Amino acid sequence: MARLLDLAISAVLLAGLYATMAYGLGLVYGVLRVVNLAHGGVIMAGAYLGWVLHGRLRLDPYLSIPLVLVATYAFGALLYRGLVRHLPRGAAGGPASLLLLFGVWLVLRNAAYLLFTGDDQAIRTSYSTHAVPFLGTWVSVNRLAVLGIALVIPVALHLLLHRTYLGKAIRAAAQNAESCTLVGVDVERVYTVTFGLGTALAGLAGVLSATLFAFNPASGAGELLKSFVVVVLGGLGSVVGTAVAALILATVEVFAILVLPSYLTAAVGFVMLVIVLVVRPGGLFGQRVLG
Amino acid sequence: MSAPLLELDGIDVFYGDVQVLHGLSFTVREGEIVTLLGSNGAGKTTTLRAISGLRPPRRGDIRLRGESLLHLPAAARSDRGIAVVPEGRELWGQLTVRENLELGAYGRRSRGAARRNLARVLELFPRLAERSRQLAGSLSGGEQQMCAIGRALMSEPRLLMLDEPSLGLAPVVVDQVMEVVAGLHRGGVTILLVEQNLRKALEIADRGLVVETGRVRLEGTAAELAADPRIRAAYLGL
Ligand SMILES: Nc1ncnc2c1ncn2[C@@H]1O[C@H](COP(=O)(O)OP(=O)(O)OP(=O)(O)O)[C@@H](O)[C@H]1O
Ligand SMILES: [Mg+2]
Repeated sequence: MARLLDLAISAVLLAGLYATMAYGLGLVYGVLRVVNLAHGGVIMAGAYLGWVLHGRLRLDPYLSIPLVLVATYAFGALLYRGLVRHLPRGAAGGPASLLLLFGVWLVLRNAAYLLFTGDDQAIRTSYSTHAVPFLGTWVSVNRLAVLGIALVIPVALHLLLHRTYLGKAIRAAAQNAESCTLVGVDVERVYTVTFGLGTALAGLAGVLSATLFAFNPASGAGELLKSFVVVVLGGLGSVVGTAVAALILATVEVFAILVLPSYLTAAVGFVMLVIVLVVRPGGLFGQRVLG
Repeated sequence: MSAPLLELDGIDVFYGDVQVLHGLSFTVREGEIVTLLGSNGAGKTTTLRAISGLRPPRRGDIRLRGESLLHLPAAARSDRGIAVVPEGRELWGQLTVRENLELGAYGRRSRGAARRNLARVLELFPRLAERSRQLAGSLSGGEQQMCAIGRALMSEPRLLMLDEPSLGLAPVVVDQVMEVVAGLHRGGVTILLVEQNLRKALEIADRGLVVETGRVRLEGTAAELAADPRIRAAYLGL
């Protein structure tokens, strides 16, 4: 029973991470019609950023979150301004932006190899393993904190997108950009903010998962894949849909550990993607946007 | 005669290499309601797009109260008092009616008065008040047109441009829309109305312009145009 509860907590925790990553990917695709392949690279970069801030500057990983958010937001905004803005978008522009952003990912990855070698790293704090009682079982403080943040993020995003002028403009730009211009929205600014926001969510997911799991410069590929699964399954821009889809994926993964040999559990996300694409052949591209 | 509000001075507008407007010039005075007439493909929508900044002219000038608009990006023009009800309404279908209206007051100048203007618009269009939480895409054609007009009014425009607001609407609804436009004009808004429904447009307009292949072909008061034999033959089928 305690083991089952453990697994359930693990599933919710993972779901929170997946939802955070997926939301960033879905937001950018929904508004800009660009599949951000650099997303996985930024997740990895966020992990290293938190690790460096913790290792070199002795900064607690939770205190480093605002810094990681600001840095990855700025990176995303610059990436949009400098590169993505100049590319064709949508179905016709697919290959160009896919290749370019894949290139950005490779650059990030190789920079990480150069700077940090290929060794596995993790962020270990003094309280990482300190456990507290929770619903009749023991959970580490760290996992609870990640859980808390992962629950706050979707609420914050929902409020941003539905309660503020900027958020409404982001959703509107996803549907009809010209009408936005006509009512005075600087659409390029909205795109910049959206790309920055999506990238910052990747960075956040990176630093959070770095406190839980080991990572290296090649990390991010699995995360990107899982983000795709969640976005395709949960729909674009729906906070609730994303959360539910992330929970489904995480639950399947976590409970697969019970029944599958360990070398197969890594393939669960991939199998889910195949199933989801069979069920929803339209995949990412057939979806309605940010209702 | 009142002062000119909008002046188009010999504008040339292109789509790629294709020139669509050829030295188009006209003036709309403060408080006037002017209708821009012409057959399909004449360049009416393009004219509005040039004024709103979506398709800037390659030559010529566009002035609002004597000041050139050409250096202003499109997104800055709503703050100058220009609002557009685009052809085909172009609402955000997945946003609620209320959100569509709220975004109409996005501009810096209009945000402060958003609450008051929302109340005003909902009073003008009680149907929208009933449906304010509904998705705009689920409204009927007439309601969508009201929503698009309401969105444009949220910025308290000096110049309201409407592109074929009667398009695709039942005759009764067309009359309602025209009544709303006439009412706004009486309330002091200057209006540039693009229409294919000549008869209805000339009923409420002060003046009219007929555009053909990107040039002004005829210009006159609504009464003059309605009596003009060329118009009666070509557009009114008389
Ligand atoms: N995006 C575009 N690219 C190329 N040509 C265009 C584009 N939009 C319009 N045109 C051309 O410009 C000309 C004028 O079009 P415009 O839409 O301004 O006409 P209109 O008077 O509004 O017609 P309608 O009454 O059918 O709305 C037409 O010949 C049209 O084919
Ligand atoms: Mg037109």
